[in-house]
Amino acid sequence: MSFPSQPEEQALHERVLARDSLAWEDVFKVFMDPIIAGLSKRPGQSQEDARDATIDVIYEYLNDPERYVPDKARLHIYLAQAARKRTVDRYRSNAARHRREQEYGGVFELRAMPPKDSLEITVEARRMADRLAQQPLTETDHHVIKLVMEGERSTHVLAEAMGLPESEETVRRREVKRNRDRLMKVLGRLRKEDSDV
Amino acid sequence: MSNPDWLEHAARRGQSETWTLAFVFEQYRQLEGLSPDDLARELNCSRDTLLWMSLCRKPEGDTRREQVTAIAERHGVTPLSLARILRHVEIMATLAMSTRDEQTGTSRIQLAARDRIDRGDDDEPTP
Repeated sequence: MSFPSQPEEQALHERVLARDSLAWEDVFKVFMDPIIAGLSKRPGQSQEDARDATIDVIYEYLNDPERYVPDKARLHIYLAQAARKRTVDRYRSNAARHRREQEYGGVFELRAMPPKDSLEITVEARRMADRLAQQPLTETDHHVIKLVMEGERSTHVLAEAMGLPESEETVRRREVKRNRDRLMKVLGRLRKEDSDV
Repeated sequence: MSNPDWLEHAARRGQSETWTLAFVFEQYRQLEGLSPDDLARELNCSRDTLLWMSLCRKPEGDTRREQVTAIAERHGVTPLSLARILRHVEIMATLAMSTRDEQTGTSRIQLAARDRIDRGDDDEPTP
């Protein structure tokens, strides 16, 4: 369990900068085990905290690789030091939870999509929205579809949007699932019709 | 060789990063109501392969097709099935955004549905 050579680290960093999809997976493969092993040697350091901290700093690096300056330190040192700092950051869990709770639709960014792809996707989405509007669905159904597409997963919120009466939790959950599945089937059918055109 | 115990945690953590395949897979699973096993079956791969693939960056940009192919080849899945999932999630995300009306808080599909109801051609909801 050792770190790669400096040229190997540099080559991997350059692949990350070039937005090479597989480089992300390779960063995990190369750095996770040795960094966790190093952190876990510290007194009072749990394996789980070391693992979570390392995962967090690797995602931070991958999200903004330009922040790493190769002239200042080797990549594995940069990551290991950040992970060590992270293990003592008591606010980590709150920040992670906040990130997870961000609204799906609001955070799905399209800015890096090439104009051609972006246009095609927009055209298809518009076509699908038009077809969806022509479906024999109620206004409530359309509202629920919108919520689901925005990433809403709460049984309570969806039940309210569906106008379901108060009932036992398991019954409510089953009803929400049944309704949701019905609407998702409509979407699935539209998607299939669209791809058949 | 067995998988490292951090793999599942890393893949799950990636679901909150919009640029990962983990995010794309999770959105697709939610939209289609699929379990991880269902998704693995759709891609014709194992759960472990799905986890490794989840760590990859979402293909985009000018080399999007090449990246889809490279990911598919490394993980032994067909590029077409991976590309189809990516496209579906992107379309749905765009659709979700296009349905927002910032000023009135009313979605485009809701307005269209209201028009249809006003015209009196809304009989029964889909069974």
